[in-house]
Amino acid sequence: MAVTGAALEREAPRRRRRVSGATRLGVALFSPALVYILALLGLPLVLAFLYSVGDVTVGSVGYEFVGLENFRSVVESPSFRRALVNSFVFTIASQVIVIVCANALALALRERFRGRGLVRFLILLPWVAPISLGAIGWKWILDSIYSVVNWVLAKMHLVNLFDPPMWLGRPALAMASVIAVHSWRMIPFSTVILLAGLTSIPKELPEAAAVDGAGFWRTHFEITLPMMRPIINVALLFGVVFTFTDMTVVYILTRGGPYDSTQVLPSLAFQTGVLGSDLAEGAAISMFLVPILVAVAALMLRVAHRAEVV
Amino acid sequence: MASDGRRGLTRREILKAAGVGALAAAAGAPRRARAQQKTLKIVQWSHFVPGYDKWFDGVFCKQWGAKHGTQVVVDHIAIGEINARAAAEVSAQRGHDLFMFLSPPAAYEKQVIDHTEIYQSVEKKWGKPIDLGHKSTFNPKTKKYFAFSDSYVPDPGNYRQDLWSQVGFPKGPDTWDDLRKGGKAIKDKFGNPVGIGLSQELDTNMAVRAVMWSFGASEQDAEGRVVINSPQTIEALKYMRALYKEAETGEIFTWDPSSNNRGILAGKLSFVANAISVTRTAEKENPEMSKKIQIVPALKGPVRRMAAEHVMDCYAIWRFAENPEGAKQFLVDYIDAFAEAFKASEFYNFPCFPKTVPDLKQQIANDPKGSPPDKYAVLGNVLEWATNVGYPGYATAAVDEAFNTFVLPTMFAKVARDELSPEDSAKAAEKELKRIWDKWKTA
Repeated sequence: MAVTGAALEREAPRRRRRVSGATRLGVALFSPALVYILALLGLPLVLAFLYSVGDVTVGSVGYEFVGLENFRSVVESPSFRRALVNSFVFTIASQVIVIVCANALALALRERFRGRGLVRFLILLPWVAPISLGAIGWKWILDSIYSVVNWVLAKMHLVNLFDPPMWLGRPALAMASVIAVHSWRMIPFSTVILLAGLTSIPKELPEAAAVDGAGFWRTHFEITLPMMRPIINVALLFGVVFTFTDMTVVYILTRGGPYDSTQVLPSLAFQTGVLGSDLAEGAAISMFLVPILVAVAALMLRVAHRAEVV
Repeated sequence: MASDGRRGLTRREILKAAGVGALAAAAGAPRRARAQQKTLKIVQWSHFVPGYDKWFDGVFCKQWGAKHGTQVVVDHIAIGEINARAAAEVSAQRGHDLFMFLSPPAAYEKQVIDHTEIYQSVEKKWGKPIDLGHKSTFNPKTKKYFAFSDSYVPDPGNYRQDLWSQVGFPKGPDTWDDLRKGGKAIKDKFGNPVGIGLSQELDTNMAVRAVMWSFGASEQDAEGRVVINSPQTIEALKYMRALYKEAETGEIFTWDPSSNNRGILAGKLSFVANAISVTRTAEKENPEMSKKIQIVPALKGPVRRMAAEHVMDCYAIWRFAENPEGAKQFLVDYIDAFAEAFKASEFYNFPCFPKTVPDLKQQIANDPKGSPPDKYAVLGNVLEWATNVGYPGYATAAVDEAFNTFVLPTMFAKVARDELSPEDSAKAAEKELKRIWDKWKTA
């Protein structure tokens, strides 16, 4: 259809008015989130970047640009290299555990049974309760002197009471312990997400598969999991981000020990920057998280988007 | 509504009157009151001895505030929060007038006033401070006192007399070699291990320094150069490895600062290096155990007998403090009252100005709570063996970072666990310390 220039001119301001009204509403709705992100995430991120290329200490009064000197210094530190590797081990291992367990829990909690509400509430508790409280509880459970785990194992004659496993004292056991506690913390969150995903799968599909003779495992791996892939990716994305940036469990349980064997990037950044007084180097350590997290986020979002399109 | 002919006040009028009154109150009278009453804000740790806080907050601060027309506000925080709180106050350039650290706050030198004036005022009355206090608060390069230290806490050895007397050491170990031999004998005979930690925590930091100094090693020399990679350090590392393998268990790698206290109070450990918090807790909670746990001075090594202070009280006045003059006066007056502080702390805080407690030796030799009453008498010569972190040099910002990032405990733990040889571990620690020292050269 041909539209004259005059008609276009008459239409344009009307359209502008309509668009500007919607835009205003959109901006009004969006701006609190934007202000929040800029003030609480953007500003600290910019500050951390400025610190990482400066000579800032907890007590310094000026600022001098030092380029990549802090990055060079941290890369030379064996503690940093260990923390970098540990961050990946901590994140990957805990997320594998979380996704597998959350899948199983979501499948179980989807079914109707007596006390389901109570079980859901109990499973959610680790996520709802402050992590510091939970971690302190685990610290006592794994304590070298008063460990209830060791006491039970000794009563079952599985370990020697006078030479029990030092859960937080051996590098491999300590790493396994912090991974287990962090997984315990993260499983409820992923379970809730996956449960929401499970309930959104049309019931006709598994029913049709059952009619065609597909068993539980085949239905699960060929229908349920592929359909849940986008939601699993979302759970994984959040899990990776939360785990990579978390220092609470490590700090409370081991403070990075024994001899830096459980140190992760956030705990090392805190130890160096705040406790060690070198804010610049602490910021440089934390900046190593940024490209990793950006890459992970971009990858996961892409996968999620592709899954949605398919 | 009133109907007696007098016109009653409407709700609006009452609100208006209240509002005007409140405004007048906010703008008028309190301003005069504020002009008369200054405020002094102090932040310090929640003392291990609750009685000390009771005396400090309820008696000393109250009396001092009344005398100087000042409202004294004391906030208590946990040990673990001190560094983060200090960093936050500096970042905000707001906070308390007096900030108490439990280790030398050299990194904050540019954010605090020069405390020389306070030292000079106190010295006029009480003489020179002990070397430990001086070296923990003075920067020889800038000639500035970056803090004022009123007291320190000794770090002796606590041993189970009932166990040690059965393996030929009725008075406990006197040397590191005694500890290894006696500790092994006790562990073999009774199952109780020695409790010298190898973890990322305060007590380990102090203990491994004590071992190093006793063997003639140190992280830096008197001029502040890194000298950790020495034959003496390697000997100290070999000793610690042997001690762990013969007389300890793997739990020492898991510890936090309270673990060794708990271990010996639970009857599990035969020896720990710690402040008198161990015995004071036993006196209150487990009198029977209190009789069994006795105290020895720092253990002697092949070169000397030496240990670090357990904690170093260091008060700092920020440059941005709102009442710096009040804070200075408070510290001077606090030292005048230190004899009371010493008693209130149950001998936990020892004076940096010894003349403030002239009868210290007599007091600690006759403590009614101690079992026997002269239990703490061994602390009478504490200044012969207690030194500052950073010995033989000063407690600098680099020393502080190495301390708080646990470079030395890591070096010792890796050797004890055979992850590195003593030589390689000393070399790795040297590299790390040099990296830290280089950074702080220009800071």
